[in-house]
Parts: sequence; C-alpha cells; structure tokens
Amino acid sequence: MTSFTLLEKIIRNRTDVSDSEIYPNNIVWVDLDLVTARDYAGPQVIDLFQKNYIGSKTFNNEKVIFTPDCYPYGNDPKHAKDQEKIRVFAKEHGIKVTDLGSGIGSHLLFRRGFSKPGDVVIGADSHYNILGALGILGQGAGDVMLAFALKTGKSWIKIPETVKVILKGDYEWPTTAKDLALYVLKELHEYGITGKAVEFYGAIIDKLSIEERVTLCSLITEASGVIGFVPADKITADYYSEIGIEIEMLSADEDARYISELVLDIQDLGQYIACPPHPHNVKKIEEVIGTPINSIVIGSCTNGSSADIHDAAKILKGHKINPNVRFGIVPATREDFVSINLNGDMTIILESGGNFFGAGCSTCAKGQYGLTGGETAVTLTTGNRNTQGKIGPADVYLASPVVAAATAIEGKIAAPKEVVKR
Amino acid sequence: MSKETIKAKAKLVIVDDIDTDQIFHQSLLTIHDPNEIKPHIFGNLEGYKSFGKEDNVGKILLVGKNFGKGSTRQQAVTGFIAHGITAIIGESFGPIYYSNSVNSGLLLVEVPGISEFKVKEDDNLEIDITQSLIINQNNGETIKCVKIPQPVLDIIKAGGLLKLGEIM
Repeated sequence: MTSFTLLEKIIRNRTDVSDSEIYPNNIVWVDLDLVTARDYAGPQVIDLFQKNYIGSKTFNNEKVIFTPDCYPYGNDPKHAKDQEKIRVFAKEHGIKVTDLGSGIGSHLLFRRGFSKPGDVVIGADSHYNILGALGILGQGAGDVMLAFALKTGKSWIKIPETVKVILKGDYEWPTTAKDLALYVLKELHEYGITGKAVEFYGAIIDKLSIEERVTLCSLITEASGVIGFVPADKITADYYSEIGIEIEMLSADEDARYISELVLDIQDLGQYIACPPHPHNVKKIEEVIGTPINSIVIGSCTNGSSADIHDAAKILKGHKINPNVRFGIVPATREDFVSINLNGDMTIILESGGNFFGAGCSTCAKGQYGLTGGETAVTLTTGNRNTQGKIGPADVYLASPVVAAATAIEGKIAAPKEVVKR
Repeated sequence: MSKETIKAKAKLVIVDDIDTDQIFHQSLLTIHDPNEIKPHIFGNLEGYKSFGKEDNVGKILLVGKNFGKGSTRQQAVTGFIAHGITAIIGESFGPIYYSNSVNSGLLLVEVPGISEFKVKEDDNLEIDITQSLIINQNNGETIKCVKIPQPVLDIIKAGGLLKLGEIM
C-alpha cells in the first residue's frame, strides 16, 4: 500500500493516473476545481484564449472567476482598459467577477467559499499558495497555462517533494503569527525549500485562527517553496460551516514519504522584521529599533484581514500617528471592511490619523505605488515583498500589524511591550 | 508523439549553467519575431557565438547542467524552435525554462550523468521514449534518461500547450 503526503493526496483525487505515477518530480495532469485571473495577467489570458480558441466557450463558466484586485482604483488608463476587458469577456461567457473593492482574490476564495479544502485552484498570483493554510492546493500560473486551463479545466503539475516542519513551543503577545511567519521564512530559506512543499505541524497549529494560518503560509513563496500546508482540521471545518459548507478533512498518511523533517523551536519567540533588500533578510526587531519610518501600510494577503487591523487598533487606541508618518490601511476584503466598521476599529484608526483605501492588494503587487512615497520615504508594510523599486523607491521593511501600529505612533521602528486589552 | 523514438544528429553545447542572457541577451528583449530571434541565439555565449548563423535544423541539442537558468524570457525557447531543434538533452534545466519549453512544444530530456555519455558532433542519436534511453548509434553507447512524463509527451505531440487546448 502506497502512502502519500497531503499534496500527493490532493493530486490523487484530481487526476486519472494510477497511484504508481504519483511520486515527487513526476509531472501529471490535474483537473482544476477553479481557474481565476485578475487585472494583472487576466487581460493577456483573455487575449490568448480569444486568439487560440476562436469562438470557444470556457470549460465551465461556473468554475472560472475574475478577481481584479491588483490596481484597486484602475488608477491609470491602461489598468482601467484592462479591467474593462475582463468585464466584457466575463459578461459574454457568464463568468463571475469580484469587481474592484471586493478584495484580494485569494482571500475571497475562502471567505466566500468559492474554494474548499482538497481543491486544486490556479490563478495569476504568486501568493495563491496561501490557500495551503486551508488545505487547498493553490498555485500561481502564467498566461499560457491559464489560457489553456480556461479552455480545458486542466493544468499540469510537477509533484514537489514535501518537507515536514514541526513547530515546537508557544509564544505570547505582542509576538503574532507574522513574527512566526518571518521566523519560519528565515529558517526555511536557510534550510532550502526551493521547489518543495511544506506541511506544518505542532501544538501551536491548534491555536492559530484561519487568518493566522494564512499569514504563516504566505511567506513560503519568499523562500522559493511551492506551498505550505496546514492540513484541514476542526478549526477549518468550523470556519467553513459558518458559511454553510461541509468539508472533508484530508490529511497526509502517517507514513507519507517526506524528503526531510525539520523541527523549529518557537518557544518564547520574539518579534521579527524583514529588512531591505529581501523578504528573507529577517532580523530580530531589537536590531533595527529606532529606524525612522515615513510611510506605513497595513494590508496585503499576508496581513490585511480584520483580525490584523484589530491588532493594530488595540495599539492605536487613544494615540495619534506621528506627524512624520503617513499611515494607510488597505483591508483585504469587503468583509474585513465591514467587520472593522462594526467593531469600532475603523473609527479608532481614523481618529488616530490613519487613512483607509479600497479593499484589494496593497503595495506588494505594485498597484498602489503612491502609498509608499518617494525616494526619501522609508516604508514599513505588513505585506510579503520588500523589493526596492517595486514596492517603493526607498528601503522597505516588513513586520506585523502590531509593530506597524507601534511604529506609526513613534515615527520609528518600535515594539510594543504592553497594550491595553479592549 | 505517435512515434516512440526520435532520431537526429547531435549538436554539442556542453556548458553548465547557461543562463537566459547567454542564450538571448536582455538588450534584445523587444524582439519577438522568431526569425529575428534566431540569429541571436547563444550570441552571448563564449565559443558558440556563431550558432545563430549555423544550420542545425532537425538536430538534438546536448547541453550541461542547469540549462536555461535565469529569467522567464520566452525568446530563449522560441529561438531554438526557429532553428528547428528537435529536442534538448541536458543534465538538468531551470524550472521556468522547462515549463516555457514544454508549453511551447520543445521537448527537453533530463539525463543524470550526461557528461559520462560519449558523443561527438553530428553523431546519430536516438531517444527511445518508451524505454527512457538515449542511444548513440555511432558507437553503441546508451544512457538512461528521466522518464518523460505523459503530459509532456501530450503537449509536445500537439505542438505546444495552447495547441493541445484546441483538441481537448
């Protein structure tokens, strides 16, 4: 009897090949549960589809969604035209569009139940692997693969080897899932997971919410990994049951063939920050405390949820943003926007001097360059990329919403020691 | 691929870690026409700069380790298709290069230990797909290649991923 990793099991349920064909480095066809594209690459996918498959329908219009999220305001004529192309094509083919202001596509997939554990989904987003946090095999794909998938409902995948990562220990506030994610990125980048998948285990996993798991899995791309999985469990099942979806808790076999096993000690983990010029240049926050910051952004698929914004609001309550800082908040989805409106976090942040922008991607995908500022503006974001020249012309740091809020008050990188719980 | 073997003459460019800049330099990225890309192939690779002007139609290209590492540029694949190269055999390929090639209909064959394989320029090679073997018909040498996965064969047979989509 052959045994399988979680990724192998997901593939096994979505392919015609026999079990003997499911092994690392082999390439197999998979049937896709969902194909998506957004305003980045989506228009090119449509062009390729129309040029190559003249007069064709998509494989199944119910299994395709366009999720424009990169350029939330269509803030130049080119992007506005691209977004219009998506709307026209979608209307013609009866395809759902989560239009501007709905939020980041990858988040909408789980928040609105478009995708569930065990599914295989592809989209034009290199962070589609955050869906691994819910046991979904999400992958970024290029124009050609997406155009083919739109027509056939299939794609090919090279089955990656899987590293079993055990997180040992626990941490306390103000350390958050972002610090965990940054620490894990630093360790996995050093360890080497290029082209590999990861499965996360450890007692801490039972304490992490879906939002925190998404944060943990969101930096695997920055370590050149394929995907990080948190196998679906009761927390995942409860999350889906709230939106009326019953899930299957797919897990790896006990004796699955892992390429290696890595134990990471996270007991009393401190706070971490990614310094310029790479996301994996992760340091203990103490090493950069006091660095002046001019522009702060809370948002992205890594840390743009209402839970993340709530973390920041707890710190900001009753405080004013430093006058040398511009502080922007980009909620991940409309649902997050509603939550922070209902629980009062939005008012707290507005009163402190923060500014809200429409739900969607924030700085990572280049679509909101203006949030970061000019050559003299050093930025701190809660996102996943700090590539100079893409996110902003000057240095960019990546940290948790807690650190972002404390830094916004101080005007320089700061770590909160205590906070008034509310 | 109805035929289970590919037979063609060998063209040797056995250099490790050839990156996409050495295959097709970044200063030429505005060129997209295959016929215009063709003369520039290996234009930046010492010892092989005349490749672009040679006639290697139908040949199998032999390369070293980690061929095509670097950028995602499609021209680094298109150029070999324009030259009429039948397949590329190498120790290993950059992951993006691999998918770009396969999706464009250019067969890449991975052969661990390719440097041990005795082959001269223009030797007659045979790729036996069923048995995962490379055979040098001039000296009888054989070497095992990594099994070519079925999706790759499906795509190559159709002439590329988008072409395959027409019949799926």
